[in-house]
Order: sequence, then C-alpha cells, then structure tokens
Amino acid sequence: MNPFWSNIFRKPGYEGTLAYFLGTIAMFSELSPGELKILENLVHLRNYDLGETVFAEGDIGSGMYIIRSGRVRIAMKDDQGREHPQAELETADFFGEMALTIPKQRIVTATATEPTVLVGLFRADVHDTVRKHPVLAAKILLGLTQVLSERLQQAALRQREHLLSPPDHAPTEPA
Amino acid sequence: MSPFSAHPGTLGKPLVLFLILTAGIASGITLFSSASTIADWFKTATSGLFLPILLSLIVTFLLDPLVLRFERHLHNRTLSIFAVYALLIIIITLLVSLIGPVDWKGMLDALRADFPRYFARALEYFNQLFLRLHDQIPYLENYNIPAKMRQWAEEILGIILLATPRSAMRIGSLFLLVPLFSFFFLRDSQRIARSLISLAPNRYFEMVLDIYAHVSWQLAHFIRGRILEALIIGVVVWMGLSLTDIRYAPLLGAVAGIANLLPYIGPIIGMIPGLLIALVDLGTGPQFWWIFCVYLLIAQVLLDNFILIPILISRVSNLHPLWVILAIVMGGKLYGVLGMIIGVPIASIIKITLLEVRHYRSNFSLSRDIAPGRD
Repeated sequence: MNPFWSNIFRKPGYEGTLAYFLGTIAMFSELSPGELKILENLVHLRNYDLGETVFAEGDIGSGMYIIRSGRVRIAMKDDQGREHPQAELETADFFGEMALTIPKQRIVTATATEPTVLVGLFRADVHDTVRKHPVLAAKILLGLTQVLSERLQQAALRQREHLLSPPDHAPTEPA
Repeated sequence: MSPFSAHPGTLGKPLVLFLILTAGIASGITLFSSASTIADWFKTATSGLFLPILLSLIVTFLLDPLVLRFERHLHNRTLSIFAVYALLIIIITLLVSLIGPVDWKGMLDALRADFPRYFARALEYFNQLFLRLHDQIPYLENYNIPAKMRQWAEEILGIILLATPRSAMRIGSLFLLVPLFSFFFLRDSQRIARSLISLAPNRYFEMVLDIYAHVSWQLAHFIRGRILEALIIGVVVWMGLSLTDIRYAPLLGAVAGIANLLPYIGPIIGMIPGLLIALVDLGTGPQFWWIFCVYLLIAQVLLDNFILIPILISRVSNLHPLWVILAIVMGGKLYGVLGMIIGVPIASIIKITLLEVRHYRSNFSLSRDIAPGRD
C-alpha cells in the first residue's frame, strides 16, 4: 500500500497499540483492523521479572505467548536435570503455540532473561471466539495451522538429515 | 489479687505484660464486635438486593446464548443486548395481548382469602383419618398429631400473610432493577471475570484461566438447564391443570416449577398444594385423578425423567440425598424459604467447581511426577 494512503487511514498513535503489534505477527497477518481490535481484548498482557519462569517442562500448557518486549530463553532439561538452551527469543517472536490446540505437557522451559512483557493467547479464549466470532477464530486457527505445519516440515527435514547423515552425534528435537 | 504483688521489685515486667495482654484482648473484642456490626450493616444493606441479583443472574444465564447469537451478526455486544431486550418486549407484549394478562395479584389475594378454608378442610380430613387410625392403633394417641399439624399450618399461614405485602412492595422495584442488573451482567461479566483472573500470579495464571473456563462452562450449562427445566415443568403443569376446573392453575404451575429445583422431595412438595386444592374444591372425581396424572406421570415421569433431565442436566451434578437435605436445611437457616429453594442448586454448583478443580489438579500433579527434576 502507498504509505501516503496508509498514513491517512491510520489513526495517530496506532503503531503503539497492541492491535497494531499483533497485526505485525505472521500468524495474525490475515486479520482485518476490526478483528485485530477484538483480538486485542482476547489476549492477556503479562509482566515477567528477570529470571521468572513463564512455563516449565511438564506443565499442562494452555496457550501461546508473543513477546511484546524483552527476551525469553527456551531450554530443555536432560535426564540429570541440566538445562540445555535451545533458543533465545526476542520481541515479536512467539512460542508455546502447540498448547493452543490441545492440553499437552510443555516439552521445554521458557524463562524471561530480562524484564519482559508477554502477550498470551490461550485455548479457553480461542474456544470462546469460535462461538462468538467464527470468522476471526477461523483466521486465527488458519494462521496457527500454517505455523504448525511449517514447524512440522522443519522437524521432518531435520529428521531426514539425521537419517541420511552418519549418526556421529546425538539427535536433538526441535523446540 | 495479683500474684505479682508479693514481689514489688519485679512488678514492672508482669504489669507491662498484663497491660499488653489486656489491651490485646480488649482490642480483639472491639475488632470482633465492630466486625460483626459491619457484617450486620452489610447484611441490612444487601438484604433487599439478594432477590433482584438472583433474578438478574437467572435472566442473564437465560439470555446469554440469545445475545451471543445476535452478537455474531451485529459484532457489538451492547447493541446485541438491546436487540434481545427489544425482542423480549415485543414477544411479551404479543403474548399479553393474545392471551390476556394473568391476574397474579388478584389470584394471590383470592388465595390468601381461601387459604384458611383449604387448611381447615385439610385438617378436618386428617382429623377424620387420625380418628380412624386411633381405633386401630391406639398407641398413636400419645402423639397428638392433629394438634401439631394445626400448629404447623398456622405458622405457614402466618409466614405467607406476612411475606405477601412486603413482596408486593418489592415487585415494583424488581421490574426496574432486574433488567438493569441483567444488562450490566450480560455486558460486563466477561470483563469482570478477566480482570479478576489477571490478578493470578504468572506461575499459576494458565491453570487459573483453564479451571475458570471449565468451571464457568459447566456452571452455565447446569444453571441454564435447571432454569429451563423449572420453566418447562411449570408451563406444562399450568397447561395440564387449565384443562380442569381447578382454580389458581398458573400459580400452582409456578409452585410446581420452582419446587422442582429441589431433587427427590421437590416434586412432592410441588404437588401438595395442587392436590389439596383439588381435593377440597373438586373432590375425588375423575378431575382429581387427571390432576394427579398431570403432576406425577406427565410432568415428573414422562417430561422430567425421560426428556428434560437427560437433555438438560448432566449426571455430574447429581447430589447425594444427604447433601440435598443438608443444603436445604442450611439454605433455610440462612435465607428462609428462598434459601431452601436455591440451597440445592448452590450445593451442586460447589460440587461441580470442586470436581473440575480436582480433575485439573490430578492432571497437573501427574505431569509433575512425570517430569523429573523440575522446580
């Protein structure tokens, strides 16, 4: 879109709102401004201190988190209980989206590595949206499906690499 | 008096201790008494609000699915609530203009006038019954049951005579308060719940949200089911009784519907006034047996057991008879007749909540066992 036109239709200060932020996330790219406004009231804003656990491996997950500001470390624990960092996520990254579909145990631990603001979207609210705003729910779930299938394909590719390459190192699961 | 006075040198310390203890006890008593005064104030201030809030909650639970349906098309909750209200007003106006208004007040007044007559006839009947029984079981005479029954009857009559003028005054305010409260409950209940949930600490937030979603879903279904069940039973009894010459059919339908909220004994309680009036006014003719059939076979066995309970109410909310009795007694102690009626549904609500929380917790602790070395 021509920046001239988009600037006219955009309300002042819109870039700072949560709705605008959510629109920049790939998962919600299909949502209209009106739908983003509804989504804004569906999500929960949560503040985390440095070193605070967002969720731990083995918890029953109930939703996904998007990083509004700050950083989050994703780590896995081995049998001895030692943590193996898998990824360091920053603003506009998201994690935990698998729990949005069914209540499953978390397979990683997420910890805030600096004061962090997270936007949480949870299964209960998505279920509620299916009844209230079916079109919006369909768009959210389509976005989720895209993300999940991308992850699945990555995992499959990685597994194929492991199968084809000589087994010289221990296999690691994707986060 | 004081054991410390024998040692004047060490008087200081115990005295301070004594003073502190006295002050502590005194302030404790003051706090306690003021707390009970505050509780009293609170009770007085909210006593008139209990019924409107209860009715508004009932209306809210009933209208919520309708509002949701409108909201899907209108995309605006406030507008949807107004639309539902407008629809309701139209339907009620149509119904009233078609059937003509039911004269509830006239009926209540007539019933109040007739009430002593019904009771006198019923007592007379029981007296005869007991006289006959006495011939066969002389041992019963010691208990003087008819006198006790007369006493009960007079007590109940007194309650009804006292309660009606007060409730008549309240009905006017109900028409104003209930739609108003319902409107705000419908519009803001979700927002209020969300802001309450957001108070949960981060570590337990997901659990709290999940449990809340489960519990509120179950509760909404249970409450809506119970209200609809009472409504349908009430209407069916009303219709069934209208076919006979019995008076007060709408009132008896309402009593049957409300009494149906109580499991096990509710249907019997709901039946008694109707059968009593039928017995006194119509005698034991075919009409009496038809009324009996309406209450027992049509409303209870056919409609409630085979149709309504399986569809509307899950087995989860079944309470043990002992809990039912406890809930009725405790509800009655707290809020009188109204408390007796809503005591059992509230006990069911508590049971559903506890079951959901336990279910979730068992899953949660299971995951803790599986994941080794977690904090």
